[in-house]
Amino acid sequence: MPIWEARGTEEEMMLEVQNLMVFFENALALNDFEMEVREGQVVGVIGSNSAGKTTLMNTLSGLIIDMRIKEKRRGGQRITVYGKIVYRGEDITETRPTERVRKGIVLCRERHPIFPESDVLQNLRMAGYLRKKAEIRETIAYVFDLFPALIPLKSRKAGFMSGGEQQMLAVGMALVARPQLLLLDEPLLGLSPMMQQILVEAITHLKARSGITVVISEQFARPVLPMIDFGYIIENGMLTLTGTGPELMDNPEVKAAYFGV
Amino acid sequence: MKKRKERIDRGIKVRAQDIFALTSYREMLYLLVPGAIPVVGLLCFAPMLSNYWREVIISTAIYALLAISWDMLMCAGLLSLGQSLFFGIGSYLAGSLNHYLGLPPILTIPLATIGGGLICTLLLLPVLRLRGIYFAMVTLVLPLMLSRLVEATRILGGTEGLTGLTPFPNQLTAVFLIQIVLLVTLFGFRRIKGSDYGLVITGISDNDRSVMSAGINIQWYKAQVVFLGASVGSFAGAFGTHMDMFAGMPGFALDYSIMPVAAAVVGGVGTFFGPLIGAFILVPLSEALRALGALRIVFYGLFLVIFVVGIPEGIFPYIQRKYQQVERWVDVT
Repeated sequence: MPIWEARGTEEEMMLEVQNLMVFFENALALNDFEMEVREGQVVGVIGSNSAGKTTLMNTLSGLIIDMRIKEKRRGGQRITVYGKIVYRGEDITETRPTERVRKGIVLCRERHPIFPESDVLQNLRMAGYLRKKAEIRETIAYVFDLFPALIPLKSRKAGFMSGGEQQMLAVGMALVARPQLLLLDEPLLGLSPMMQQILVEAITHLKARSGITVVISEQFARPVLPMIDFGYIIENGMLTLTGTGPELMDNPEVKAAYFGV
Repeated sequence: MKKRKERIDRGIKVRAQDIFALTSYREMLYLLVPGAIPVVGLLCFAPMLSNYWREVIISTAIYALLAISWDMLMCAGLLSLGQSLFFGIGSYLAGSLNHYLGLPPILTIPLATIGGGLICTLLLLPVLRLRGIYFAMVTLVLPLMLSRLVEATRILGGTEGLTGLTPFPNQLTAVFLIQIVLLVTLFGFRRIKGSDYGLVITGISDNDRSVMSAGINIQWYKAQVVFLGASVGSFAGAFGTHMDMFAGMPGFALDYSIMPVAAAVVGGVGTFFGPLIGAFILVPLSEALRALGALRIVFYGLFLVIFVVGIPEGIFPYIQRKYQQVERWVDVT
Protein backbone atom coordinates (compact mmCIF):
# COMPACT_ATOMS: atom_id res chain seq x y z
CA MET A 1 0.00 0.00 0.00
CA PRO A 2 1.71 3.18 -1.17
CA ILE A 3 2.24 5.90 1.34
CA TRP A 4 2.04 8.69 -1.17
CA GLU A 5 0.83 8.42 -4.74
CA ALA A 6 3.10 8.66 -7.69
CA ARG A 7 1.10 10.92 -9.96
CA GLY A 8 1.85 9.38 -13.34
CA THR A 9 0.76 6.05 -14.65
CA GLU A 10 3.10 3.17 -15.28
CA GLU A 11 5.25 3.23 -18.40
CA GLU A 12 4.52 6.89 -19.14
CA MET A 13 7.51 9.05 -19.99
CA MET A 14 8.65 10.92 -16.90
CA LEU A 15 12.02 12.45 -17.62
CA GLU A 16 13.70 13.05 -20.92
CA VAL A 17 17.21 14.39 -21.27
CA GLN A 18 18.16 15.55 -24.74
CA ASN A 19 21.66 16.41 -25.98
CA LEU A 20 22.84 17.49 -22.56
CA MET A 21 26.25 19.15 -22.56
CA VAL A 22 27.87 20.66 -19.49
CA PHE A 23 31.10 22.61 -19.58
CA PHE A 24 33.12 23.60 -16.54
CA GLU A 25 35.11 26.43 -18.08
CA ASN A 26 36.82 24.57 -20.97
CA ALA A 27 36.43 21.06 -19.57
CA LEU A 28 33.59 19.03 -20.96
CA ALA A 29 31.90 17.20 -18.07
CA LEU A 30 28.94 15.77 -19.98
CA ASN A 31 29.00 15.29 -23.73
CA ASP A 32 25.79 14.86 -25.68
CA PHE A 33 24.08 12.85 -22.97
CA GLU A 34 20.65 11.38 -23.68
CA MET A 35 18.44 9.61 -21.20
CA GLU A 36 14.86 8.53 -20.77
CA VAL A 37 13.18 7.61 -17.53
CA ARG A 38 9.70 6.09 -17.43
CA GLU A 39 7.30 6.29 -14.50
CA GLY A 40 7.97 3.74 -11.79
CA GLN A 41 11.35 2.67 -13.12
CA VAL A 42 14.59 2.39 -11.24
CA VAL A 43 17.27 3.72 -13.55
CA GLY A 44 20.97 3.33 -12.89
CA VAL A 45 23.73 5.60 -14.12
CA ILE A 46 26.94 3.63 -13.80
CA GLY A 47 30.38 5.07 -14.30
CA SER A 48 33.78 5.28 -12.68
CA ASN A 49 35.17 8.40 -11.02
CA SER A 50 35.15 11.56 -13.13
CA ALA A 51 32.62 10.04 -15.51
CA GLY A 52 30.19 12.92 -14.93
CA LYS A 53 27.67 11.21 -12.65
CA THR A 54 27.56 13.95 -10.06
CA THR A 55 27.37 16.63 -12.74
CA LEU A 56 24.41 14.81 -14.26
CA MET A 57 22.67 14.61 -10.88
CA ASN A 58 23.33 18.29 -10.18
CA THR A 59 21.97 19.18 -13.60
CA LEU A 60 18.83 17.09 -13.14
CA SER A 61 18.16 18.57 -9.71
CA GLY A 62 18.93 22.10 -10.85
CA LEU A 63 21.76 22.68 -8.38
CA ILE A 64 23.97 23.51 -11.33
CA ILE A 65 21.98 26.70 -11.89
CA ASP A 66 22.90 27.86 -8.41
CA MET A 67 26.52 26.81 -8.89
CA ARG A 68 26.61 28.69 -12.18
CA ILE A 69 25.36 31.90 -10.61
CA LYS A 70 27.77 31.67 -7.67
CA GLU A 71 30.77 30.97 -9.87
CA LYS A 72 29.82 33.81 -12.18
CA ARG A 73 29.60 36.26 -9.30
CA ARG A 74 32.94 35.12 -7.92
CA GLY A 75 34.51 35.35 -11.36
CA GLY A 76 35.44 31.70 -11.11
CA GLN A 77 34.79 28.90 -13.55
CA ARG A 78 32.17 29.57 -16.15
CA ILE A 79 29.61 26.76 -16.22
CA THR A 80 27.64 26.33 -19.43
CA VAL A 81 24.72 23.98 -19.88
CA TYR A 82 23.26 23.05 -23.25
CA GLY A 83 20.45 20.69 -24.02
CA LYS A 84 16.98 20.12 -22.75
CA ILE A 85 15.48 18.39 -19.74
CA VAL A 86 11.80 17.54 -20.04
CA TYR A 87 9.94 16.43 -16.93
CA ARG A 88 6.39 15.18 -17.45
CA GLY A 89 6.05 17.06 -20.72
CA GLU A 90 7.41 20.30 -19.31
CA ASP A 91 10.76 21.89 -20.13
CA ILE A 92 12.56 22.38 -16.79
CA THR A 93 16.04 23.18 -18.09
CA GLU A 94 16.05 26.64 -16.50
CA THR A 95 13.82 25.89 -13.49
CA ARG A 96 15.34 26.72 -10.14
CA PRO A 97 16.15 23.84 -7.74
CA THR A 98 13.53 24.93 -5.19
CA GLU A 99 10.85 24.83 -7.90
CA ARG A 100 12.01 21.38 -8.95
CA VAL A 101 11.61 20.06 -5.41
CA ARG A 102 8.02 21.37 -5.46
CA LYS A 103 7.50 19.49 -8.71
CA GLY A 104 8.77 16.34 -6.99
CA ILE A 105 12.40 16.04 -8.08
CA VAL A 106 14.46 15.46 -4.94
CA LEU A 107 18.19 14.87 -4.89
CA CYS A 108 20.14 13.06 -2.20
CA ARG A 109 23.63 14.46 -2.66
CA GLU A 110 26.77 12.38 -2.35
CA ARG A 111 28.83 12.02 0.86
CA HIS A 112 26.06 12.01 3.45
CA PRO A 113 24.59 15.51 3.12
CA ILE A 114 23.10 15.81 6.61
CA PHE A 115 23.02 18.55 9.23
CA PRO A 116 25.73 17.29 11.62
CA GLU A 117 24.72 19.47 14.58
CA SER A 118 21.07 18.39 14.65
CA ASP A 119 19.71 15.06 15.80
CA VAL A 120 18.11 12.48 13.54
CA LEU A 121 14.51 13.53 14.07
CA GLN A 122 15.31 17.19 13.53
CA ASN A 123 17.13 16.29 10.33
CA LEU A 124 14.16 14.38 9.03
CA ARG A 125 11.71 17.12 9.95
CA MET A 126 13.84 19.76 8.32
CA ALA A 127 13.91 17.80 5.09
CA GLY A 128 10.11 17.77 5.00
CA TYR A 129 9.83 21.52 5.30
CA LEU A 130 7.47 21.81 2.32
CA ARG A 131 5.08 19.15 3.58
CA LYS A 132 2.21 19.20 6.08
CA LYS A 133 2.90 18.10 9.67
CA ALA A 134 0.76 14.97 9.40
CA GLU A 135 2.47 14.00 6.16
CA ILE A 136 5.87 14.42 7.76
CA ARG A 137 4.89 12.25 10.73
CA GLU A 138 3.62 9.58 8.37
CA THR A 139 6.74 9.57 6.19
CA ILE A 140 9.07 9.59 9.17
CA ALA A 141 7.33 6.47 10.48
CA TYR A 142 7.80 4.99 7.03
CA VAL A 143 11.51 5.88 7.01
CA PHE A 144 11.99 4.18 10.38
CA ASP A 145 10.12 1.23 8.98
CA LEU A 146 12.50 1.16 6.02
CA PHE A 147 15.65 1.63 8.13
CA PRO A 148 15.01 0.06 11.55
CA ALA A 149 18.64 0.75 12.45
CA LEU A 150 17.80 4.44 12.81
CA ILE A 151 15.15 3.95 15.52
CA PRO A 152 17.54 3.71 18.52
CA LEU A 153 19.47 6.73 17.19
CA LYS A 154 16.49 9.11 17.06
CA SER A 155 17.97 11.69 19.40
CA ARG A 156 21.63 11.21 18.47
CA LYS A 157 23.47 14.10 16.84
CA ALA A 158 23.74 13.20 13.14
CA GLY A 159 27.41 14.20 12.94
CA PHE A 160 28.35 11.50 15.45
CA MET A 161 26.80 8.62 13.52
CA SER A 162 28.70 6.17 11.36
CA GLY A 163 28.95 6.63 7.60
CA GLY A 164 26.32 3.97 6.89
CA GLU A 165 23.86 5.42 9.37
CA GLN A 166 24.41 8.89 7.94
CA GLN A 167 23.72 7.58 4.44
CA MET A 168 20.49 5.91 5.61
CA LEU A 169 19.50 9.19 7.19
CA ALA A 170 20.32 11.06 3.99
CA VAL A 171 18.10 8.76 1.93
CA GLY A 172 15.42 9.06 4.59
CA MET A 173 15.62 12.84 4.42
CA ALA A 174 15.12 12.77 0.67
CA LEU A 175 12.04 10.58 1.21
CA VAL A 176 10.45 12.92 3.75
CA ALA A 177 10.14 15.49 0.96
CA ARG A 178 7.90 12.90 -0.75
CA PRO A 179 9.59 12.82 -4.15
CA GLN A 180 8.03 11.75 -7.40
CA LEU A 181 11.49 11.35 -8.87
CA LEU A 182 14.20 10.46 -6.36
CA LEU A 183 17.78 11.14 -7.44
CA LEU A 184 20.39 9.23 -5.43
CA ASP A 185 23.95 10.35 -5.99
CA GLU A 186 26.37 7.57 -5.06
CA PRO A 187 24.32 6.20 -2.17
CA LEU A 188 26.78 3.35 -1.64
CA LEU A 189 29.91 5.49 -1.44
CA GLY A 190 32.17 4.42 1.37
CA LEU A 191 29.88 1.74 2.73
CA SER A 192 30.77 -1.86 3.55
CA PRO A 193 29.22 -4.59 1.35
CA MET A 194 26.76 -5.43 4.12
CA MET A 195 25.66 -1.83 4.50
CA GLN A 196 25.39 -1.60 0.72
CA GLN A 197 23.08 -4.61 0.73
CA ILE A 198 20.84 -3.02 3.36
CA LEU A 199 20.52 0.16 1.30
CA VAL A 200 19.90 -1.71 -1.95
CA GLU A 201 17.18 -3.74 -0.28
CA ALA A 202 15.63 -0.59 1.10
CA ILE A 203 15.56 0.98 -2.35
CA THR A 204 13.98 -2.13 -3.87
CA HIS A 205 11.42 -2.15 -1.09
CA LEU A 206 10.78 1.54 -1.62
CA LYS A 207 10.12 0.99 -5.30
CA ALA A 208 7.69 -1.84 -4.64
CA ARG A 209 5.86 0.03 -1.94
CA SER A 210 5.58 3.63 -3.04
CA GLY A 211 5.87 3.35 -6.79
CA ILE A 212 8.13 6.36 -7.09
CA THR A 213 10.77 6.65 -9.77
CA VAL A 214 14.42 6.42 -8.78
CA VAL A 215 17.60 7.40 -10.59
CA ILE A 216 20.75 6.03 -8.97
CA SER A 217 24.24 7.06 -9.95
CA GLU A 218 26.85 4.64 -8.73
CA GLN A 219 30.29 3.30 -9.45
CA PHE A 220 29.69 -0.07 -7.82
CA ALA A 221 27.93 -1.97 -10.59
CA ARG A 222 27.70 -5.30 -8.77
CA PRO A 223 25.07 -4.45 -6.15
CA VAL A 224 23.21 -1.96 -8.34
CA LEU A 225 22.82 -3.73 -11.69
CA PRO A 226 20.49 -6.52 -10.45
CA MET A 227 17.93 -4.08 -9.07
CA ILE A 228 17.63 -1.60 -11.92
CA ASP A 229 15.12 -1.65 -14.74
CA PHE A 230 17.33 0.25 -17.12
CA GLY A 231 20.95 1.27 -16.99
CA TYR A 232 23.19 3.85 -18.60
CA ILE A 233 26.94 3.43 -18.55
CA ILE A 234 28.94 6.62 -18.95
CA GLU A 235 32.62 7.20 -19.37
CA ASN A 236 34.25 10.62 -19.48
CA GLY A 237 30.87 12.26 -19.89
CA MET A 238 29.93 10.10 -22.88
CA LEU A 239 27.22 7.50 -23.00
CA THR A 240 28.88 4.19 -23.88
CA LEU A 241 26.23 1.53 -23.23
CA THR A 242 22.57 1.30 -22.44
CA GLY A 243 20.35 -1.62 -21.63
CA THR A 244 18.22 -3.31 -19.04
CA GLY A 245 19.85 -4.62 -15.89
CA PRO A 246 20.27 -8.24 -17.00
CA GLU A 247 21.46 -7.16 -20.45
CA LEU A 248 24.19 -5.05 -18.94
CA MET A 249 25.19 -7.80 -16.55
CA ASP A 250 25.71 -10.20 -19.42
CA ASN A 251 27.63 -7.71 -21.50
CA PRO A 252 31.30 -8.76 -21.74
CA GLU A 253 32.59 -5.19 -21.67
CA VAL A 254 30.70 -4.39 -18.49
CA LYS A 255 31.89 -7.64 -16.98
CA ALA A 256 35.49 -6.76 -17.75
CA ALA A 257 35.25 -3.18 -16.54
CA TYR A 258 33.02 -3.45 -13.48
CA PHE A 259 33.08 -7.06 -12.31
CA GLY A 260 36.73 -7.73 -12.92
CA VAL A 261 36.02 -11.05 -14.60
CA MET B 1 25.01 25.88 -34.27
CA LYS B 2 25.41 26.78 -30.62
CA LYS B 3 28.22 28.95 -29.43
CA ARG B 4 30.10 29.06 -26.18
CA LYS B 5 32.42 31.68 -24.77
CA GLU B 6 35.78 30.16 -24.07
CA ARG B 7 38.38 31.53 -21.70
CA ILE B 8 41.99 30.80 -22.47
CA ASP B 9 45.31 32.06 -21.19
CA ARG B 10 47.10 34.51 -23.39
CA GLY B 11 50.02 33.01 -25.28
CA ILE B 12 52.33 35.57 -23.79
CA LYS B 13 51.30 34.50 -20.28
CA VAL B 14 52.00 30.87 -21.00
CA ARG B 15 55.37 31.68 -22.55
CA ALA B 16 56.27 34.12 -19.81
CA GLN B 17 55.90 31.43 -17.16
CA ASP B 18 58.90 29.72 -18.69
CA ILE B 19 62.58 30.56 -18.66
CA PHE B 20 62.18 31.75 -22.26
CA ALA B 21 60.56 34.88 -20.88
CA LEU B 22 64.07 36.22 -20.50
CA THR B 23 64.66 36.06 -24.24
CA SER B 24 62.17 38.65 -25.34
CA TYR B 25 61.63 42.24 -24.26
CA ARG B 26 57.91 41.96 -24.82
CA GLU B 27 57.57 39.08 -22.42
CA MET B 28 59.80 40.70 -19.84
CA LEU B 29 57.66 43.82 -20.04
CA TYR B 30 54.54 41.68 -19.70
CA LEU B 31 55.90 40.33 -16.43
CA LEU B 32 57.35 43.57 -15.07
CA VAL B 33 54.78 46.23 -15.96
CA PRO B 34 52.05 45.18 -13.48
CA GLY B 35 54.53 45.18 -10.62
CA ALA B 36 56.04 48.49 -11.71
CA ILE B 37 52.72 50.36 -11.78
CA PRO B 38 52.38 50.84 -8.00
CA VAL B 39 56.08 51.58 -7.58
CA VAL B 40 56.14 54.28 -10.25
CA GLY B 41 52.70 55.54 -9.34
CA LEU B 42 53.45 55.97 -5.67
CA LEU B 43 57.01 57.25 -5.82
CA CYS B 44 56.69 59.60 -8.80
CA PHE B 45 53.25 61.12 -8.43
CA ALA B 46 53.20 61.91 -4.74
CA PRO B 47 55.87 64.67 -4.89
CA MET B 48 53.92 66.40 -7.65
CA LEU B 49 50.76 66.77 -5.59
CA SER B 50 49.70 69.74 -3.48
CA ASN B 51 50.23 69.71 0.28
CA TYR B 52 46.61 68.85 0.93
CA TRP B 53 46.58 65.85 -1.41
CA ARG B 54 49.91 64.66 -0.03
CA GLU B 55 48.19 64.62 3.32
CA VAL B 56 45.41 62.52 1.76
CA ILE B 57 47.97 60.17 0.22
CA ILE B 58 49.54 59.66 3.64
CA SER B 59 46.26 58.77 5.32
CA THR B 60 45.38 56.55 2.34
CA ALA B 61 48.68 54.73 2.73
CA ILE B 62 47.98 54.24 6.44
CA TYR B 63 44.63 52.67 5.62
CA ALA B 64 46.26 50.62 2.85
CA LEU B 65 48.78 49.24 5.34
CA LEU B 66 45.97 48.32 7.72
CA ALA B 67 44.05 46.70 4.87
CA ILE B 68 47.10 44.67 3.84
CA SER B 69 47.58 43.57 7.43
CA TRP B 70 43.88 42.55 7.54
CA ASP B 71 44.39 40.57 4.36
CA MET B 72 47.39 38.78 5.86
CA LEU B 73 45.28 37.62 8.82
CA MET B 74 42.51 36.65 6.41
CA CYS B 75 44.94 34.42 4.52
CA ALA B 76 45.24 32.28 7.65
CA GLY B 77 41.48 32.24 8.07
CA LEU B 78 41.51 34.75 10.92
CA LEU B 79 38.68 37.20 10.31
CA SER B 80 39.73 40.30 12.21
CA LEU B 81 37.51 43.28 12.93
CA GLY B 82 40.09 44.97 15.10
CA GLN B 83 42.81 46.58 13.01
CA SER B 84 42.41 49.54 15.38
CA LEU B 85 43.92 47.34 18.11
CA PHE B 86 47.16 47.17 16.11
CA PHE B 87 46.93 50.84 15.18
CA GLY B 88 46.23 51.98 18.73
CA ILE B 89 48.95 49.87 20.34
CA GLY B 90 51.53 51.05 17.81
CA SER B 91 50.42 54.61 18.28
CA TYR B 92 50.58 54.52 22.08
CA LEU B 93 53.93 52.69 22.08
CA ALA B 94 55.59 55.19 19.77
CA GLY B 95 53.91 58.07 21.57
CA SER B 96 55.01 57.05 25.05
CA LEU B 97 58.55 56.18 23.93
CA ASN B 98 58.80 59.65 22.46
CA HIS B 99 56.97 61.47 25.25
CA TYR B 100 58.46 59.82 28.33
CA LEU B 101 61.90 58.69 27.12
CA GLY B 102 62.46 61.37 24.50
CA LEU B 103 63.49 58.95 21.75
CA PRO B 104 63.47 60.34 18.19
CA PRO B 105 61.04 58.93 15.55
CA ILE B 106 63.86 57.02 13.89
CA LEU B 107 63.97 54.80 17.00
CA THR B 108 60.38 54.90 18.20
CA ILE B 109 58.88 53.74 14.92
CA PRO B 110 60.93 50.50 14.58
CA LEU B 111 60.57 49.79 18.30
CA ALA B 112 56.82 50.35 18.17
CA THR B 113 56.57 48.17 15.06
CA ILE B 114 58.26 45.16 16.64
CA GLY B 115 56.95 45.77 20.15
CA GLY B 116 53.42 46.40 18.94
CA GLY B 117 53.53 43.18 16.95
CA LEU B 118 54.64 41.26 20.03
CA ILE B 119 52.09 42.84 22.36
CA CYS B 120 49.21 42.25 19.94
CA THR B 121 50.30 38.66 19.38
CA LEU B 122 50.38 38.07 23.15
CA LEU B 123 46.95 39.68 23.53
CA LEU B 124 45.47 37.50 20.79
CA LEU B 125 47.34 34.33 21.73
CA PRO B 126 44.53 32.93 23.93
CA VAL B 127 41.93 33.33 21.18
CA LEU B 128 43.99 31.99 18.29
CA ARG B 129 42.17 28.67 18.54
CA LEU B 130 38.91 30.40 17.69
CA ARG B 131 37.88 30.87 14.11
CA GLY B 132 35.49 33.02 12.14
CA ILE B 133 32.99 35.07 14.06
CA TYR B 134 34.41 34.25 17.50
CA PHE B 135 37.84 35.58 16.65
CA ALA B 136 36.18 38.59 15.02
CA MET B 137 34.20 39.33 18.19
CA VAL B 138 37.29 39.28 20.39
CA THR B 139 39.30 41.49 18.05
CA LEU B 140 36.39 43.91 17.82
CA VAL B 141 36.04 44.19 21.58
CA LEU B 142 39.74 44.43 22.55
CA PRO B 143 40.41 47.95 21.18
CA LEU B 144 37.16 49.27 22.67
CA MET B 145 38.16 47.77 26.00
CA LEU B 146 41.66 49.24 25.87
CA SER B 147 40.39 52.72 25.05
CA ARG B 148 38.00 52.58 28.04
CA LEU B 149 40.89 51.34 30.17
CA VAL B 150 42.92 54.40 29.23
CA GLU B 151 39.95 56.63 29.95
CA ALA B 152 39.18 55.08 33.33
CA THR B 153 42.69 54.75 34.75
CA ARG B 154 43.99 58.02 33.26
CA ILE B 155 47.28 56.35 32.29
CA LEU B 156 49.17 57.56 29.20
CA GLY B 157 47.53 60.98 29.34
CA GLY B 158 44.00 59.70 29.80
CA THR B 159 41.41 61.33 27.58
CA GLU B 160 43.76 64.15 26.59
CA GLY B 161 46.32 61.79 25.13
CA LEU B 162 50.02 62.47 24.66
CA THR B 163 50.58 65.73 22.83
CA GLY B 164 53.53 67.63 21.43
CA LEU B 165 55.35 64.62 19.98
CA THR B 166 58.27 65.03 17.60
CA PRO B 167 57.03 65.50 14.02
CA PHE B 168 58.76 64.38 10.85
CA PRO B 169 61.32 66.88 9.50
CA ASN B 170 59.13 67.63 6.48
CA GLN B 171 56.13 66.29 4.65
CA LEU B 172 58.09 64.78 1.76
CA THR B 173 60.13 62.58 4.14
CA ALA B 174 56.92 61.28 5.64
CA VAL B 175 55.38 60.60 2.22
CA PHE B 176 58.39 58.68 0.99
CA LEU B 177 58.82 56.76 4.24
CA ILE B 178 55.27 55.44 4.30
CA GLN B 179 55.23 54.73 0.58
CA ILE B 180 58.45 52.75 0.69
CA VAL B 181 57.18 50.77 3.68
CA LEU B 182 53.89 50.19 1.87
CA LEU B 183 55.67 48.85 -1.21
CA VAL B 184 58.01 46.65 0.82
CA THR B 185 55.06 45.23 2.75
CA LEU B 186 53.05 44.69 -0.41
CA PHE B 187 55.73 42.83 -2.33
CA GLY B 188 57.08 41.12 0.77
CA PHE B 189 53.68 39.72 1.71
CA ARG B 190 53.03 38.67 -1.86
CA ARG B 191 56.34 36.83 -1.87
CA ILE B 192 55.50 35.19 1.47
CA LYS B 193 52.15 34.07 0.15
CA GLY B 194 53.72 32.58 -2.96
CA SER B 195 56.24 30.53 -0.98
CA ASP B 196 55.75 27.21 0.80
CA TYR B 197 55.13 29.12 4.00
CA GLY B 198 52.21 30.85 2.31
CA LEU B 199 50.92 27.48 1.21
CA VAL B 200 50.75 26.33 4.83
CA ILE B 201 48.93 29.54 5.79
CA THR B 202 46.38 29.17 3.01
CA GLY B 203 46.01 25.54 4.01
CA ILE B 204 45.16 26.56 7.57
CA SER B 205 42.39 28.75 6.26
CA ASP B 206 41.05 26.05 3.93
CA ASN B 207 41.16 23.03 6.18
CA ASP B 208 43.05 23.31 9.44
CA ARG B 209 42.59 19.68 10.40
CA SER B 210 44.36 18.49 7.25
CA VAL B 211 47.26 20.81 8.02
CA MET B 212 47.40 19.42 11.56
CA SER B 213 47.46 15.92 10.10
CA ALA B 214 50.52 16.90 8.10
CA GLY B 215 52.32 17.39 11.41
CA ILE B 216 52.29 21.18 11.43
CA ASN B 217 51.62 23.14 14.59
CA ILE B 218 48.95 25.49 13.32
CA GLN B 219 48.83 27.63 16.49
CA TRP B 220 52.48 28.52 16.01
CA TYR B 221 51.87 29.44 12.38
CA LYS B 222 48.80 31.48 13.26
CA ALA B 223 50.82 33.33 15.92
CA GLN B 224 53.45 34.15 13.30
CA VAL B 225 50.82 35.46 10.92
CA VAL B 226 49.28 37.60 13.65
CA PHE B 227 52.75 38.95 14.44
CA LEU B 228 53.31 39.88 10.78
CA GLY B 229 49.91 41.53 10.47
CA ALA B 230 50.14 43.27 13.84
CA SER B 231 53.61 44.62 13.11
CA VAL B 232 52.39 46.24 9.92
CA GLY B 233 49.36 47.64 11.73
CA SER B 234 51.54 48.93 14.56
CA PHE B 235 53.85 50.61 12.09
CA ALA B 236 50.85 52.42 10.65
CA GLY B 237 49.91 53.50 14.17
CA ALA B 238 53.42 54.67 15.08
CA PHE B 239 53.70 56.58 11.82
CA GLY B 240 50.29 58.18 12.26
CA THR B 241 51.23 59.27 15.77
CA HIS B 242 54.31 61.15 14.66
CA MET B 243 52.38 62.57 11.72
CA ASP B 244 49.69 64.05 13.98
CA MET B 245 52.13 64.71 16.83
CA PHE B 246 49.50 63.13 19.05
CA ALA B 247 48.78 59.71 20.56
CA GLY B 248 45.40 59.17 22.14
CA MET B 249 42.15 57.31 22.33
CA PRO B 250 41.17 58.06 18.70
CA GLY B 251 43.85 55.49 17.82
CA PHE B 252 41.40 52.80 18.91
CA ALA B 253 38.58 54.29 16.83
CA LEU B 254 36.28 52.03 14.88
CA ASP B 255 37.29 53.74 11.61
CA TYR B 256 40.60 51.92 11.61
CA SER B 257 38.78 48.59 11.93
CA ILE B 258 36.05 49.05 9.34
CA MET B 259 37.81 50.92 6.55
CA PRO B 260 40.49 48.22 5.96
CA VAL B 261 37.80 45.56 5.66
CA ALA B 262 35.87 47.66 3.16
CA ALA B 263 39.05 48.37 1.18
CA ALA B 264 40.01 44.70 1.06
CA VAL B 265 36.54 43.58 0.01
CA VAL B 266 36.35 46.16 -2.76
CA GLY B 267 39.86 45.40 -4.00
CA GLY B 268 39.79 41.63 -3.70
CA VAL B 269 40.59 39.54 -0.63
CA GLY B 270 43.77 37.51 -0.47
CA THR B 271 45.78 39.36 -3.11
CA PHE B 272 47.41 42.21 -1.08
CA PHE B 273 47.29 44.30 -4.26
CA GLY B 274 43.52 44.36 -3.92
CA PRO B 275 43.41 46.01 -0.47
CA LEU B 276 45.92 48.58 -1.72
CA ILE B 277 43.74 49.43 -4.72
CA GLY B 278 40.66 49.43 -2.51
CA ALA B 279 42.21 51.87 -0.04
CA PHE B 280 43.42 54.11 -2.85
CA ILE B 281 39.88 54.26 -4.22
CA LEU B 282 37.89 54.55 -1.01
CA VAL B 283 39.92 57.02 1.04
CA PRO B 284 40.38 59.68 -1.67
CA LEU B 285 36.75 59.11 -2.64
CA SER B 286 35.65 59.86 0.89
CA GLU B 287 37.84 63.00 0.81
CA ALA B 288 36.44 64.12 -2.54
CA LEU B 289 32.88 63.64 -1.29
CA ARG B 290 33.53 65.99 1.62
CA ALA B 291 31.95 68.81 -0.38
CA LEU B 292 28.60 67.05 -0.23
CA GLY B 293 28.31 67.57 3.51
CA ALA B 294 25.90 65.26 5.25
CA LEU B 295 25.11 63.36 2.05
CA ARG B 296 28.72 62.18 1.94
CA ILE B 297 28.10 58.97 3.84
CA VAL B 298 25.10 58.16 1.63
CA PHE B 299 27.10 58.43 -1.57
CA TYR B 300 30.04 56.68 -0.02
CA GLY B 301 27.84 53.77 1.00
CA LEU B 302 26.26 53.73 -2.45
CA PHE B 303 29.69 53.45 -4.10
CA LEU B 304 30.58 50.58 -1.77
CA VAL B 305 27.40 48.72 -2.67
CA ILE B 306 27.97 49.29 -6.39
CA PHE B 307 31.51 47.92 -6.16
CA VAL B 308 30.56 44.89 -4.12
CA VAL B 309 27.53 43.99 -6.25
CA GLY B 310 29.17 44.83 -9.57
CA ILE B 311 32.54 43.13 -9.04
CA PRO B 312 32.07 40.74 -6.12
CA GLU B 313 35.38 39.03 -6.79
CA GLY B 314 37.17 42.34 -6.24
CA ILE B 315 38.79 44.82 -8.58
CA PHE B 316 42.24 43.30 -8.59
CA PRO B 317 41.26 39.70 -9.46
CA TYR B 318 39.06 41.10 -12.22
CA ILE B 319 41.89 43.15 -13.73
CA GLN B 320 44.27 40.24 -13.31
CA ARG B 321 41.92 37.93 -15.18
CA LYS B 322 41.49 40.37 -18.03
CA TYR B 323 45.25 40.81 -18.22
CA GLN B 324 46.02 37.12 -18.36
CA GLN B 325 43.13 35.63 -20.28
CA VAL B 326 41.28 36.20 -23.51
CA GLU B 327 37.73 35.21 -24.28
CA ARG B 328 36.47 34.07 -27.64
CA TRP B 329 33.41 32.40 -29.07
CA VAL B 330 33.74 28.77 -30.11
CA ASP B 331 31.27 26.37 -31.67
CA VAL B 332 29.73 23.65 -29.60
CA THR B 333 28.95 20.48 -31.44
